[in-house]
Amino acid sequence: RGLAAGPEMHFGFQTVTEAERREKIYQVFESVAKKYDVMNDSMTLGIHRVWKDILVHKMNPSPGTLLLDVAGGTGDIAFRFINYVRSVRERQLQRKLRHHQNLSWQEIAESYQEDKSKSLGGSQVVVCDINKEMLKVGKEKAQNLGYTEGLSWVLGNAEELPFDDDKFDVYTIAFGIRNVTRIDLALQEAYRVLKPGGRFLCLEFSHVSNPLLSSLYDLYSFQVIPVLGEVIAGDWKSYQYLVESIRRFPPQEELKAMIEDAGFLKVDYQNLNLGIVAIHSGFKL
Amino acid sequence: KMAAAAAGSLRRAGWRLHLTLLASLSVLRCQLSVPQRALQASAVLRRVSDEQHKEPLASSSQQHFDSHPTDQQPEQEPQGPRPSSTGQGGQESEDYESEEQLQHRILTAALEFVPEHGWTAEAIAEGAKTLGLSAASAGMFRNDGSELILHFVSQCNTKLTELLEQEQKQVQLGEAEKKPLDQFLRDAVEARLRMLIPYIEKWPQALSVLLLPHNIPASLSLLTSMIDDIWHYAGDQSTDFNWYTRRAVLTGVYNTTELVMMQDSSPDFEDTWRFLENRVTDAMNMGNTANKVQSTGEALVQGLMGAAVTVSNAETRR
Repeated sequence: RGLAAGPEMHFGFQTVTEAERREKIYQVFESVAKKYDVMNDSMTLGIHRVWKDILVHKMNPSPGTLLLDVAGGTGDIAFRFINYVRSVRERQLQRKLRHHQNLSWQEIAESYQEDKSKSLGGSQVVVCDINKEMLKVGKEKAQNLGYTEGLSWVLGNAEELPFDDDKFDVYTIAFGIRNVTRIDLALQEAYRVLKPGGRFLCLEFSHVSNPLLSSLYDLYSFQVIPVLGEVIAGDWKSYQYLVESIRRFPPQEELKAMIEDAGFLKVDYQNLNLGIVAIHSGFKL
Repeated sequence: KMAAAAAGSLRRAGWRLHLTLLASLSVLRCQLSVPQRALQASAVLRRVSDEQHKEPLASSSQQHFDSHPTDQQPEQEPQGPRPSSTGQGGQESEDYESEEQLQHRILTAALEFVPEHGWTAEAIAEGAKTLGLSAASAGMFRNDGSELILHFVSQCNTKLTELLEQEQKQVQLGEAEKKPLDQFLRDAVEARLRMLIPYIEKWPQALSVLLLPHNIPASLSLLTSMIDDIWHYAGDQSTDFNWYTRRAVLTGVYNTTELVMMQDSSPDFEDTWRFLENRVTDAMNMGNTANKVQSTGEALVQGLMGAAVTVSNAETRR
């Protein structure tokens, strides 16, 4: 909320105008896009994969779910969603087959045909990102990994989504909301595009209250990460921004209040790794 | 920003907390200026509710709501909270009804899907869909279906209580005979167990979920209150038993009969009802035995006391 108070905003620990901030953030992600995944692995020692797995498990999507993954860039959440739905769908079909023991050959042949067209059970994920470079990397990854169906890539701004109202079952934003300039607008847009009963999930770096862990975390963040950034991605400044933006982001309770202000109900959060990361969840009821 | 905070806090509090809202209104009054955020949010909600308008004003929580917005009217533009009070129906009536009430509605709708999907999040998702909500709202509940089962048990208990209440009224009005205790207990337990019949295939799964540590407090309390209810309606006849043994005995009868019912394949569960009849008869006899044991015990004690007095007298006389 405090961000929109005036023309002055924060970009990491600097103070800039709203327009400047958007521009700078765009440039950050433009430059890190190609090395985004590699950097994630090295900074978090691979733990970010676990965080994203936990997010999708918490979502527990059923086949037929429509997911909007905002700031989804390189597609990590989207791919996990597809894998999850595929395995749930397989289990469902197996259960159905078990109940239908006395099928004729005709019926069995039909059921196999059905399977081919509905391996995802109608689930779809739309990956939306404001940054063209990130989307490009994501599309390439999808091709390399063999994800062909149920996936679409849209260029869009979280503060002004190019979608109709009441469209999606689940809205996720993983490690993206920190970079949104007007968080309140993004939350309102999330509320708008979700169906009634839809779920908002936000995975983001948050505040560590444990003092010991907090000092270790600070040490690691400010001393190690920018160095890794320089060595691996050739970009010290972007990773300095990353670390600073984490410190400037509202803590768990404040973000929870902001989500409630956008109209979500049953808002709750779950700390991962003692608060290094938190998953916030809310429902449009 | 204060207005936004106010609107947000109103929604957060839920209409259950109307009393605290009344108290805090005096503080909120000064802080309410032009509630642009409130306008925007309730405009969205109103739009959705226009499409699906069910029974918005019938719910009891409407009263709660009316008690305070009248205070707020002078401060806010008429469009302020008014839309959220009158313009919302259907599933947006959670702003009238509390989130809990919506959850109950979803769980009730989900029961229809239990025979097919079991007591699972899938059944809850299907239930939510019939109410026009996204399947994602099943995320409000645990994945193991605990809330669904507890909701069902609580519903059955309520139905049983209503049934017993009706029967009692009939007896009071002289329309029916007062049943002897064993008949009463048998009928009550049978009526309660019959409610499981539509879900009998998936009930063993439900029983195992109810035994999970995090569910035991709730399931135990539901069980004991049901048993207490039956004893309450059993009336004066129940003074044959001691209060503690009453609960234990009937709980034992109920639980064992329930387990037998899981395995019963006889037509209309007649084996189960015969088992029940035998257990209730045992329970009645046990009561007599207990009394006998007690009086025998008393007699014994008196005899011993007498013997002790005799001996001590003999001693002193010596």
